[in-house]
Amino acid sequence: MSQARQLTFSIFRYDPQDPNDKPQMVRYVITETPGMTVFIALNKIRETQDPSLQFDFVCRAGICGSCAMVINGKPTLACRTLTANFPSAEIKLMPLPGFELIGDLSVNTGKFMRELAERLQLWLHPNDTDMDIHRIEAPMAPEEAAKLYELERCVECGVCVSACATKQMRDTFVGAVGLMKIARFELDSRDSRTSDDFYHVIGNQDGVFGCMTLLGCQDACPKNLPHMQQIAYLRRKMTLSVTNL
Amino acid sequence: MAANPLPAKAVLSSNHAKGFSHPIWAARADRLQSATGVLLGLFLIMHLHFESSILFGKEVFYQVAQFLEGGIFSETGHGFPILTQIFSAFMLLIVLVHAVFALRRFPTQIGQWRALRQQMQFLPHEDTKIWFWQMISGFLLFFLVPVHLFAMMTNPEIGPHLSAERVVHHNAWMLYVLLLPAVTVHAIFGLYRVSIKWGLTTQRFALLKLAKVLLAYLMVLGVASLVAYIIIGRSLSLPVVPFVPGL
Repeated sequence: MSQARQLTFSIFRYDPQDPNDKPQMVRYVITETPGMTVFIALNKIRETQDPSLQFDFVCRAGICGSCAMVINGKPTLACRTLTANFPSAEIKLMPLPGFELIGDLSVNTGKFMRELAERLQLWLHPNDTDMDIHRIEAPMAPEEAAKLYELERCVECGVCVSACATKQMRDTFVGAVGLMKIARFELDSRDSRTSDDFYHVIGNQDGVFGCMTLLGCQDACPKNLPHMQQIAYLRRKMTLSVTNL
Repeated sequence: MAANPLPAKAVLSSNHAKGFSHPIWAARADRLQSATGVLLGLFLIMHLHFESSILFGKEVFYQVAQFLEGGIFSETGHGFPILTQIFSAFMLLIVLVHAVFALRRFPTQIGQWRALRQQMQFLPHEDTKIWFWQMISGFLLFFLVPVHLFAMMTNPEIGPHLSAERVVHHNAWMLYVLLLPAVTVHAIFGLYRVSIKWGLTTQRFALLKLAKVLLAYLMVLGVASLVAYIIIGRSLSLPVVPFVPGL
């Protein structure tokens, strides 16, 4: 067994709440352990070297989407990134761009996602307005359910937003996460909104027609969601729906 | 809650908007940009192949040019150069439509440009880089393509000697040296992007590889043709006599 490597982490440190603080990169050296992820390494740094280091996590298993950050120039989830993937043993960590910085590696994706959900109305608008708790729900075809679950896998980590150069250039652009969720409700037979309704929300330069197909979302999504196909689907769907406007 | 599940339509409806501000134009603009782009891209591929017939000799190029100018319909067999003029004007119109709608994509503010450059530096990504070069080449083509088309409209003579004269003695080679790389990069990656954008294929990486091979091939083809015209042009004595087949 070869000797364990020494990993050098270069971590962005800045507290926007502290008027005297200045953004800087701070170096930490730790010993690599078998199966170590960037998330485990960050915890170790915080425990043993610097308790003030800020970063987000909840589930440590790629489900909560909290620990997204830019790791050696690639936005992804820290908990799903093995340190063994970096032969140079040099790892540079930056917060996700395009979001409000809370401090160090922690960004406020929650605020962004909530505003997006409100703007695009990302919840089910049921067909049936007559709510009766005693009535049995209509069953859904397994194929349809499978399609919806595929898109429901989005963990709102914000990686697609950070990886999108279009979004960085145009702040009002909805980004892949918004389009993905719209596609999810568009496919849902229980949702009463028609293509025309969706057109009024995303049929513009800030919506699906603002996408320039740079595919940062597709290449960076840690859940491997089919952004490319979904956006193309919405584009075709929205182009066809204009005949009824 | 249940009484008002769907405020979206009433609030967001903008059916009363007229002209280009009507929401229908968002979809139309996207469609027109792609459609004109595909038309121009496919035309470019044909154009480069037709002109490269000079590599098979003056006779072959002469026949191709006469055929495309409608030589079989003219009594002399020399075709109608006015067809070139009409076609150039039509292509200029297509280029204009394409440019008008593609302009939406340009970073029009310095802040947007900075955000793009910073993003490319911070998060290097191949397709973003490809788009960046497409944008730069698109910007150059704004100036280069109209020059080429105006030249063809005002001076539509095409032939082994006449084209070579244009390249060498009218110094069109300077234009073509810039136009060739800009237009091939723009067109080939444009065709790649448009296929992905509308979901014509899911084999993205295979398509990208194909695009790169096609780009290299068209560049070689274009450069070889240009060199051929330069060699012919330099061998001609002024005033240039049009090529006559069989001599």
